[in-house]
Amino acid sequence: MIDRESTFADPGVVELLKTRTIPVAIDQWNQRRQKDSEGEFYRKIARQGPRHDFENGTTQGLYLAAPDGTFLGYTNNRDPRKVRQMLETGFSIYRPGPTAVLNVEKVDARFNAKPPEGGLVVRVCAKVLGGYDEPTTQYEEIFQTALSRDNLWITADEHQTLVSGRFSDSLAQRIALFHLVDNTRGEPPFWKSSEVMARSFTLHDSVITGSVELKTQDGQRSYSAVMRGHITVTDRQITAFDLVVSGTFSGHGPYTGRAPEQPFPLAISFTLADGTDIADTLPPQAGRGWLGDYLK
Amino acid sequence: MTRTSVCLFLMTLIAGSLSHAAELTEAEFRALHAKLQPDVSAMWRSIPWRATVLSAQQAAAQQQKPIFIWAMDGHPLGCT
Repeated sequence: MIDRESTFADPGVVELLKTRTIPVAIDQWNQRRQKDSEGEFYRKIARQGPRHDFENGTTQGLYLAAPDGTFLGYTNNRDPRKVRQMLETGFSIYRPGPTAVLNVEKVDARFNAKPPEGGLVVRVCAKVLGGYDEPTTQYEEIFQTALSRDNLWITADEHQTLVSGRFSDSLAQRIALFHLVDNTRGEPPFWKSSEVMARSFTLHDSVITGSVELKTQDGQRSYSAVMRGHITVTDRQITAFDLVVSGTFSGHGPYTGRAPEQPFPLAISFTLADGTDIADTLPPQAGRGWLGDYLK
Repeated sequence: MTRTSVCLFLMTLIAGSLSHAAELTEAEFRALHAKLQPDVSAMWRSIPWRATVLSAQQAAAQQQKPIFIWAMDGHPLGCT
């Protein structure tokens, strides 16, 4: 989030990336574990940088590498000046020349999940609507105004249940557990089944209404919300899925600190993906590495 | 709707949320759904991101350009 609004909001950085590099964005949690061609090439590059404990530590950061994997630069600093400096230094080292194209010879299925055939991909965006103290830094302001993004995957059976005018229990539970979270400041903790105190999803005349009550056992984190939305069905296909869940959230997770101290309003939107955004291709955050629990 | 009226409307929604509103009205749904959409004109979106390092390598080899990798915990194009 910080990167989008700072490093990649700098015209100089953006111009360099667009004209002089081939840019790629990844969740390195996958690539440092993948036992396949993709993982091997990423680790070849990262191994030459400062973060190369692939078992125990993150390798996050910004890398520049030659097409053959030769390391050209790294920074984990978000300051656009530092990033431009890293890029310019890397460009000065790089010597263009013929390089073999690497083929995808091995694919680790655990890290190459595809949306369910006959199912749906729905964009999910969350936003904290108030409750913060005045920001004291640019980065604090970015977090406080952030709109998160994840994808909800709907199976073929759940899709057809919606078409027939009902909201399946498995879909309601998946939304409650994995998508009614505050992921606006980082990777969120998801809910456990035992933390779903109550949930009601009703579909009547194409209108979705309902409510949820989510609460950890220690009471430190909770979300109490209501919802409303619409679906459109055309030729037994869902062609629109618009939903908003809005309510009061409290608490935070290990990686979503700096939440408002008092309970705060959190709203989450759901919109059918149309494939025009590259993020539409990404698996749900809750399903990374293992879709089994997510799709059950 | 002006910026001021949107702010006032959202403040009303916030107050409603904090008092555990029993339901979301159609007007509230429409306003929030519109508000909670990504800014498609954001500058970072103008960068032609690829989603796999190997697809970047293939293009990099063909165009003889370096690969720039934005590697995060959680996917930087989604997740958070």
